[in-house]
Amino acid sequence: MRGSTVTRIALRLATIGVLAFIYVPLATILIYAFSEARALAWPIAGFTLDWWGRALADPGFWAAMGTSLQAAAGATAIALVLGTLAALAVQRYRFFGREAISFVVILPIALPGIVTGMALNATFTSLGFGLSMFTIIVGHATFCVVLVYNNVIARLRRSSRSIEEASMDLGADTWQTFRYVTFPVVRTALLAGGLLAFALSFDEVIVTTFTTGGQRTVPIYILNLLQRDPSPVVNVVAVIVIALSTVPVYIATRLTGDSGSLTGGRT
Amino acid sequence: MTATGPPARGRRLAAWLYARPRVQLGALLSAPLGWLVVAYLGSLAILFVNSFWQVDPFTRNIVYEPSLENYGRLLGTEVFRNVTVRTLAIAAAVTITDALIAFPIAYYMARVASPRVRGWLVVAVLLPLWSSYLVKVFAWRIILQDNGPLNALLAPFGLQGPGVTDGEIRLWITFSYLWLPYMILPIFAGLERIPGSLLEASGDLGARSWQTLRRVILPLAFPAVVAGSIFTFSLTMGDYIAPNQLSSVQFIGNVVQANVGIAGDLPFAAAFATVPVFVMIVYLFVARRLGAFESL
Repeated sequence: MRGSTVTRIALRLATIGVLAFIYVPLATILIYAFSEARALAWPIAGFTLDWWGRALADPGFWAAMGTSLQAAAGATAIALVLGTLAALAVQRYRFFGREAISFVVILPIALPGIVTGMALNATFTSLGFGLSMFTIIVGHATFCVVLVYNNVIARLRRSSRSIEEASMDLGADTWQTFRYVTFPVVRTALLAGGLLAFALSFDEVIVTTFTTGGQRTVPIYILNLLQRDPSPVVNVVAVIVIALSTVPVYIATRLTGDSGSLTGGRT
Repeated sequence: MTATGPPARGRRLAAWLYARPRVQLGALLSAPLGWLVVAYLGSLAILFVNSFWQVDPFTRNIVYEPSLENYGRLLGTEVFRNVTVRTLAIAAAVTITDALIAFPIAYYMARVASPRVRGWLVVAVLLPLWSSYLVKVFAWRIILQDNGPLNALLAPFGLQGPGVTDGEIRLWITFSYLWLPYMILPIFAGLERIPGSLLEASGDLGARSWQTLRRVILPLAFPAVVAGSIFTFSLTMGDYIAPNQLSSVQFIGNVVQANVGIAGDLPFAAAFATVPVFVMIVYLFVARRLGAFESL
């Protein structure tokens, strides 16, 4: 049902309106990154590139970038392994409690970050684990699993079990079947899930504040600036972060096809 | 697991495994379940246990004697009841707002736009999804401040945007903005899955457009709306950074966070944190009943 012409025009206007709503605040961030004045008033008094120089010259910013990349890489690696294993188990086997798995997998992302953060913090502290990069990665991996899981399981659902059986019948063993049949089927789903997990970890702030042992990720660096010294430096960092986070999300969307849904292309 | 002919040992193991699907299953599940059930649910359990201890008012040490005192304080104190009601009310308002804003654009993407435009729209909606939560909060702080762009825009009409004293409205706008893509994408996917033949059948049977919308499209898209609402509701309910940055309004998260520090009262924070957990678990059970998990 494509509707009448009037409906279609109304829908198009609504779509343009929503896109404007989404992008105007981001554009605001960009404009103020060049604002001369420290205070972010409107109208903008004058334009300058000074804040860019300051942000890029700040060793704290680069250190935060390094920390965030490390944390995201570690969390993504763990999420890829755990998410794939869980998806294979749920999609290929029938067992008691199978339905509960999807529930448990989604719980870390559905519960408020402050709860996940506090819970992990209480556990690490009571087990005598010092908070460190390791605990940040553990925290991030916990809520990143669902992204890989959803992507892989959606792909497995669409692929037929019979190609794996054919592979076995032709004499391939379990490993060969995985290596030559299953893995190629899920490869792009893994990449998409991994990229989304990476982007989510890179942006996470609440769980990080509870699991960091003093390591500063980019969001924590931004939060510190916001709390202590809000100036257009924040905007510059923001623009850089937005530009960077665009890349993995864009690639992931392309990989899952145009019907990519939030947690993976489940079509 | 090698590319060129596995060693005999791997082959024997594979053969042994092939005959034992339960062992295969165990091998697949042990790591993810160990992590999510033992580590994650275990951590939640530890947090829950913590909520039954108290802090000694004089020494600030934790007293390990189980009691329901924290929960009693929660229920018996008006401030905490208000914080809870306010948090849940704003989360509900944000969810409804997002569903209303998201439906038209999702419908346009799924059923009106050409495939090429659809592809662009998906990217346009998805791109800002993770372009830094903090940056977006900051954007609204700039837009809404007293001498900011919104007031400059409204001034000629003699109007004024929500100021610091209208914290609830500021948060309602900001949260609706923050989580909107989480609502658009599931609804889009849900609408896209509806077979066109059903809509044609409805039309052939004499339904007008709005009847088709109400009797066919909305019921079929409802699970997707519920799927999106999991995120809009939960993310609003658990937040404390946006309330901090944009208003003096206290959310559950603000009270919890204020009590986590060294000077705080961790058992009380844990007790208060069980409120959103309980709400979310009930929410997820209902959502699964409504078929939302298939639309995530």
